[in-house]
Amino acid sequence: MTKLKGNDFIEKVRTEIDQRLPLDMLNLGDLMAHKEVPKHRMSWAYYLGGFTLFFFIVQVVTGLMLLFYYKPTVSEAHASVEYITHQVSAGALVRNMHTWASSLMILSILIHLITTFAMKAFEKPRELTWVTGVALLLITFTFGFTGYLLPWNQIAVNATKIGLQTIEQVGHYLPGDLATWPRHLREIIQGEASVGQSTLSRFYAIHVVVLPFLIFGLLGVHLLVVQLHGMSKGVDEPAKGQEKFFPFFILKDFSAWGIAFLALFLFALCLPFESFFPYPLFEPYDALGSTPEGIKPEWYFFFMYYPLELLPFWLVMLGVNGAMVVLLFAPWIFKGSSRKTLRFLAVLAALYLFVMTVFGDKIYHLVKGVGG
Amino acid sequence: MLEAFLFVGLPYTAVIICVAGSIYRFKTQPYSYSALSSQFLEGKKLMWGSVPWHLGITVVFLGHLAAFLAPDTWRLFLSSTHVLYTMEAIGLAAAILCALGLLVLILRRLTTANLQPVTTLMDLVVLFLLLIQVILGIMTAMSVRWGSLWSTETTTPYLWSLLTFRPDASFIAGMPLLVKAHLTGAWILLLSIPFSRLVHMFSLPLEYLFRPPQKVVWNAHPHHGSLKAAEDKEVTRRLFLKGAFGLTAGGVLLGIGVLDELYRFFRGPRLTQAEEADLLDVTQKRLKKNAEEKALELERLRDESIFVAKLSDLSPTKGKYFIDYQMRPALAFLGADGLPQLLSAKCTHLGCTVGSEVNAQGRLLCPCHVSFFDVTNGVPDAGSPAKDPLPKLGWVLVNEKGEIVLSRGPKGEVEGTLLGHEKETLSVHIAKRYVEALT
Amino acid sequence: MKTNTFSPPRHQVRQEFLTKKLFYLRDLKKRTYGFLLFFVPLVSWWFMVSPVLAYPDFQAFIKKNSGRSVDCAFCHANSNGPEGNGPGQIGSLTPEEFDRLNFARGAFDPGRNVNSPILNAFGNRVIRELGKKKFIEIKNHPADLAKALDPKVDLDGDGIPDVQEFLDGTHPLKNTDGDPGRLFLANFLKNHTQILLLLFATLFTLYGLNNLLRGFARFFEAEDGEGGR
Repeated sequence: MTKLKGNDFIEKVRTEIDQRLPLDMLNLGDLMAHKEVPKHRMSWAYYLGGFTLFFFIVQVVTGLMLLFYYKPTVSEAHASVEYITHQVSAGALVRNMHTWASSLMILSILIHLITTFAMKAFEKPRELTWVTGVALLLITFTFGFTGYLLPWNQIAVNATKIGLQTIEQVGHYLPGDLATWPRHLREIIQGEASVGQSTLSRFYAIHVVVLPFLIFGLLGVHLLVVQLHGMSKGVDEPAKGQEKFFPFFILKDFSAWGIAFLALFLFALCLPFESFFPYPLFEPYDALGSTPEGIKPEWYFFFMYYPLELLPFWLVMLGVNGAMVVLLFAPWIFKGSSRKTLRFLAVLAALYLFVMTVFGDKIYHLVKGVGG
Repeated sequence: MLEAFLFVGLPYTAVIICVAGSIYRFKTQPYSYSALSSQFLEGKKLMWGSVPWHLGITVVFLGHLAAFLAPDTWRLFLSSTHVLYTMEAIGLAAAILCALGLLVLILRRLTTANLQPVTTLMDLVVLFLLLIQVILGIMTAMSVRWGSLWSTETTTPYLWSLLTFRPDASFIAGMPLLVKAHLTGAWILLLSIPFSRLVHMFSLPLEYLFRPPQKVVWNAHPHHGSLKAAEDKEVTRRLFLKGAFGLTAGGVLLGIGVLDELYRFFRGPRLTQAEEADLLDVTQKRLKKNAEEKALELERLRDESIFVAKLSDLSPTKGKYFIDYQMRPALAFLGADGLPQLLSAKCTHLGCTVGSEVNAQGRLLCPCHVSFFDVTNGVPDAGSPAKDPLPKLGWVLVNEKGEIVLSRGPKGEVEGTLLGHEKETLSVHIAKRYVEALT
Repeated sequence: MKTNTFSPPRHQVRQEFLTKKLFYLRDLKKRTYGFLLFFVPLVSWWFMVSPVLAYPDFQAFIKKNSGRSVDCAFCHANSNGPEGNGPGQIGSLTPEEFDRLNFARGAFDPGRNVNSPILNAFGNRVIRELGKKKFIEIKNHPADLAKALDPKVDLDGDGIPDVQEFLDGTHPLKNTDGDPGRLFLANFLKNHTQILLLLFATLFTLYGLNNLLRGFARFFEAEDGEGGR
């Protein structure tokens, strides 16, 4: 009996999918009782995804609590945030936790990205995990960007304006009629000609409804495939041993979460994040008044904010977008790379991010020769 | 009279009887210093009764002892409301455990066939006395609350006064009946010690706390692997118990710290009238500011031209502030040609409002980062942080009848003429048509 | 010669001249007094009402000393300063508020109960403690403000005294604004019971979880052993 020509292809597709999505592993035995985690010098990195998830859970809970009192209109947003901080019982704590956990979530997601890259965790059959992970990274950054606008203070509105201006600047490099498309895109994002009530309303909707829907879906897939595949081997040399996932690894994971919660609570209780910035930045946004100095985006955007101030616009845009594309298609681009190469690239990326984020301001002033 | 007996006479009597009686019993019947355990006769109900009772009474006893031995430190410790709630909650939970345990023990004593031959009157008396005492304690904790605090001021000095042979019952003279009953019950229990199995308190097997787990396995019924199974069962049970304890303790602490705050968070703040008034005042001021802004916006949407100033009021050296069609601050000057010169006053550097005074060099100063702008064309001086010129605004001159006499756009295009019009009657307006001209 | 002019006798002329001079001088006095009566209040009114020039010296000092940029809201009721028509600015004051403003402007000695509507609680405190005269002196060396004020007062209750907040460039009326190190310490000491409770709660929960999971693991193991997997 001759097989139909299409059958081979279908068989091939089927096997490929099965390898990526081994749903036969979906039983308690394989998922929990027998799963093992390799022990090697990079084993510490296995906890990072869990940290990101933990901080995300904190965000959801604290965000929900803030939602009870926040008012998303330009006349009342700032006042409602002040009400939460000063009048509502434990409101200052909840708000501070939300802000600190957002920074910590992004920090852990970046370290998670770098270490999974260095461990070549995206290699077959974990491509789906990687791609969903990159999407989650983008969603997390968007969460940060949209959430930043909601308090409607000087730094929130002005930093958002500057951020959105970047989109419009792309238009300068496009030919003919295309040059207006970025401006139209920007106006669609803003909802009106300049950042105002429409922008606040849609950023609020995106931050509270759209992105949570997306992230729950993608996170579900991401976590499912991580559990189905188990932990990747991480290093080339054979592991020094295997640790049982249940209960030992999970225990250590939860203990780490407990300690992280303790640290987060301590900082949220004792250190208001506003103390790191000059106070005029937190005054209500005044459209008719002057802009205070010191307007900057959040720290996790510094890696492209300072280069934009120092280098030609097209170079930075090319760099950032190129990096995004490389990241998205990494499982295929770096299919043949050794872990040594990947570690080298990861260290380079980590160094760049660290230096640009921490010393970006100093570098900018050095180059521009502007004092203080 | 009764008070003196109950709170001075009775305590001393009880202590003397307890001490003398216990020593006598130890000398004459040393082997009776035991709990006379009936575990072999009936073990299951004993576990459910004895374990909660002993666990609970240990906690309660330690709590009473702390208040007695170190009242000042204890008071300091309880000065935080969270700690106070915690301690009182733990105490109450322990007391309830005691009560439940005692009930089980009493029922067991009364209904188990095996135990009837070995039960004495004293056993039942002691059990009932203990139960009553615990119930009195619970009732005290619920009606005369925060006993952990008030005891340091009342019962503790009273007890110390007894101990130092300077009895002073006045400390507790004003206490409610419940407390006095509880105290009396304590003295009665004290004097019943040498006559009952309560003497086992003096021979506690403390080393049991640290001995390895043991399980009795009958040699008469050997089961292959039963040893391993027994060990597994024992170990897992111990682990589950420790786990449950840890989680409960953690949960209780978390609950006490968090639930209170959570409840108040969701209930919302209860402000005093003064605070509400302040808040409303601030809100009202902001809303008024918003309303004014909206009124300006409306004017700019509706009107084809908006009044700035009378031509005769303009000065070449001091600008007049106004808001332009794009809701930006702007300045109006009298130009060198006697016509208005309108410039946007929003500094092109970071948006500060530019100053209105023209200095000796014909420059306007933006004070925020010190940029100088030429008032004739808005161009910033070299070396200023601002790089782009201040945009020029178009204007129209309108006469008393409302007709446009002369107009000049932002790029300099002029329409109309001044001939035949008195300058004093003209007023300067900004015009909507010049806004489209600007991108 | 017949003339139509009437010329008065010489002594009369002199008399008239003297009288005119007298009246002229009296008039002059009146005019001078009148001038003074009118102009002096005008001038002093002008001094009182004219912009007392929001002191940029302090702003510059704070920026230089601490590295943090501040705005007028540090001492004033409105973040854009006392001039203008907004709330807390001179252009929008009611008559009652004007009285308070003038009282504050005249408080040259310390200890007056100053409550100027263009100053916030800190600004009022400065004028109350120093008096306007001393304040104007200190304007020339702003660092001395930290030495002149009572170092123990902390208006926002964040654990950092106002004079320290002045040197750090953090707002003395906002309890969320303060030098991070100092603020952390102050809040840590204030909330130590909460922190301790949480520490114990976490330790207990982790201990419990630890044992619970080990119990489960042992249980599954035992099951596996019996089942002979």
